[in-house]
Amino acid sequence: MEGYIMTKRLTVIPEQCSGCRICELVCAIKHFRVNNPKKAAIRVMITYPHPVMRMPIVCSQCRSPLCARVCPADALRLVNGVVQLIEENCVSCYKCLEACPFGAIYAHQDCDLPIKCDMCGGDPECVKACPKAALRLIPEAVLGESKRLNNVLSYAQMKEIEFYEKGEKKIIRYAEIGEES
Amino acid sequence: MSIKSGYFKKHLHVDLTRGNAERLDLSETFIKKYIGGRGFGAKLIWDNLRKHDFKIDPLGPDNLLVIAPGPLTGVYLPSSGKNSFVAISPATGLYGDSSMGGGFGVELRQAGIDAVSITGRAPELSVLLIENGETTILAMPGLKGKNCLEAEGLIKERLGTHAVHVATIGVGGENMVKFACVNTDWSRNAGRTGIGAIMGSKNLKAIVVRGDKDIPVYNVAGLVAENAIAFKYMREHKYFRMWQQEGLMNVIAYANEKGILPSYNFKDGVFAKHDQINGATMLSGYKIGDSACFSCPMCCGNICLVKNGKYAGTVVEGPEYESCAMLGSNLGIDNFAAVLSANRLCDELGIDTISTGGVIGAVIEGYERGILSLADLDGREITWGDEEAILGLIQKIARRQGIGNVLADGARGIIKRWPEMDKVILHVKGLEQSAYDSRSSLSMALAYATSDIGAHHTRAWTIAKEMEQGQNWSDDEKVDIVIYHQKVRPLFDMLGVCRLPWIELGLSERHYANFYKYVTGEEASLEELLERSNDIYNLTRLINVRLGTSRKDDSLPRKVWANPPLTGPTAGRIIKQDDFNRILSLYYQKRGWNEDGIPPASLERKFEDWAVPAWNEHR
Ligand code: SF4
Ligand code: SF4
Ligand code: SF4
Repeated sequence: MEGYIMTKRLTVIPEQCSGCRICELVCAIKHFRVNNPKKAAIRVMITYPHPVMRMPIVCSQCRSPLCARVCPADALRLVNGVVQLIEENCVSCYKCLEACPFGAIYAHQDCDLPIKCDMCGGDPECVKACPKAALRLIPEAVLGESKRLNNVLSYAQMKEIEFYEKGEKKIIRYAEIGEES
Repeated sequence: MSIKSGYFKKHLHVDLTRGNAERLDLSETFIKKYIGGRGFGAKLIWDNLRKHDFKIDPLGPDNLLVIAPGPLTGVYLPSSGKNSFVAISPATGLYGDSSMGGGFGVELRQAGIDAVSITGRAPELSVLLIENGETTILAMPGLKGKNCLEAEGLIKERLGTHAVHVATIGVGGENMVKFACVNTDWSRNAGRTGIGAIMGSKNLKAIVVRGDKDIPVYNVAGLVAENAIAFKYMREHKYFRMWQQEGLMNVIAYANEKGILPSYNFKDGVFAKHDQINGATMLSGYKIGDSACFSCPMCCGNICLVKNGKYAGTVVEGPEYESCAMLGSNLGIDNFAAVLSANRLCDELGIDTISTGGVIGAVIEGYERGILSLADLDGREITWGDEEAILGLIQKIARRQGIGNVLADGARGIIKRWPEMDKVILHVKGLEQSAYDSRSSLSMALAYATSDIGAHHTRAWTIAKEMEQGQNWSDDEKVDIVIYHQKVRPLFDMLGVCRLPWIELGLSERHYANFYKYVTGEEASLEELLERSNDIYNLTRLINVRLGTSRKDDSLPRKVWANPPLTGPTAGRIIKQDDFNRILSLYYQKRGWNEDGIPPASLERKFEDWAVPAWNEHR
């Protein structure tokens, strides 16, 4: 991670997730070299049927991390865009587990230290392994773009006219300049 | 070569009558020989039968229920979420098993257990709670009458955690419906052979597991490298996306095209409105999400929602081909929303969709043909596609009300009550037939007839191959492929993995031998593993033979001899008795069994050692 600043965010598209937990497996294998989904820094929460949801929970690498704010030992620091666990400092009080608004830090009986996503040095294993493209690494500047675009497309005040182009019927939508009031 | 890893070597034995549970050691020989899953199950069942002199009432306290994942369950490789439930089936009175997907088996492994066996009967409706090293039997009579989804929710609420896996029965299991299933993760089922009824007979509402242990893997780096090849192969397969999108629902169109889709209780092999209940219909109007078993990139599970009309609000994980065909075309239902509603109802009540569709189809035809009277139907007429009556009948079966009380006893019970119904209900050995018509495929007919658990398609699914080959396929080839399937398929259930990557995407069997090597540290070739898996097929045959099975039982539903499909590409085709007898004899010959289907007495010696030390003098 030397010299590299993480300007991408690990984003989750829960509608795409199938709940296969491959992301959990690869995370645990990468960080602990064991086959144990319960040692992953990403976990998939599944609810059914009210609501029907498969939601991978993973750290957002907040710019103003609540986990770091409650840490009494200065063991969580934002370094190069990733909230890093400074292992030597950590006293394993688990205050961070409760402080994270997403519950994105985990504990396991075999490990003293909390389990926290480190973005795999900028190339997250879970993103590469997800068979549904439900996990994506997205530049910060692009975050929210699809919502913005959707908002534009669904703008209710638009008008429509039909026209023909090379014999094919088409529709153009536009927003009328309103009367000044 | 010895087994170096991959197992905890622990077997949890629970006696519900006495209310105790103990962890017993599994010997290395046992582990090596029987591998896991269905293999462990078959051996433990065999030993239990020997202990009781082969006299066991399937619904009595002595019937042993074995739950076993395999050494590959929960491991980072394709579709490793499988787990077997094994017992003497109340539907057939013979060896029975059903495998379940989802995450239950993985959790069991993480609790440090390779197999659970349950005997006895709890004094009150109970829940078995397995948490890492601890086992508790909790009386929870308040769960009585709760459906599967409710029960799972209530148990999680009572334990105060979401992080457990629950395998539960519904009303169907409590009422010992002979095709009751065990439900996990809300909608994954161990559907066939009536395992749910066995839990019901033991007063065991649910098994709840929580485990945090590492799943032992001998060589993680080797595993990851092997898996990279397997995953890559799958993801690049031309049908991979189609599998993710439609799952098994793509089979509806195929089966209809080939004329093997059950329609109107197998009166026909095509369904006029098949496109109203197929994968495309599901995708365009109903599907809202995917669902995968543990570590499965194919995610064959579909989550559907009915958005409007009288079934609006129905959510179901499903359907898949079998459920959709048996509850749809087989009953003349062309309204996909109604199929979803029936599927959801079966999930809630905890009864098998295949058998449910089979018995209801038989009832409708029985009434049509005048075998059943209006009085037999409790005064409510029922015809093809009558959604309301069909949904009502599903409820009555699970609750054992009126005619439902007879239907709940499955094919055998129905024929006992109305012998003429033998003409219309499709079953082998008492297990209702799956949704592949065999009248145009002698190899599929042979597969159903010789299947150890009855007319179930997963033992050997050769129909697609035979359809491809057409008429120029010799008896030899047909028998060989049935035997090959019967040999390979148990291996998947023994290892604790799903067979779909292999059968549907053509992922080579060789990978599994490598996975086995990296997980256990034992260098066994695929051929050696297949030998062990073939032993299991022999063992389950031995079990059945000792319980009375012989050639007379390796037969087919009467309809298959007598009534051909009426229209479509397979119209007019039936299986001729002569052809069948000839191929069955050839099958026995190749198996090394005698003309009556009995394996040589010497075979028994192979399985003589007791699985669990002191199991025989134990208790
Ligand atoms: S652990 Fe939670 S609070 Fe801390 S940076 Fe990650 S998401 Fe933010
Ligand atoms: S567990 Fe460690 S990182 Fe978390 S709050 Fe406590 S000291 Fe800080
Ligand atoms: S790997 Fe992808 S699809 Fe599978 S559980 Fe994780 S996020 Fe969901």
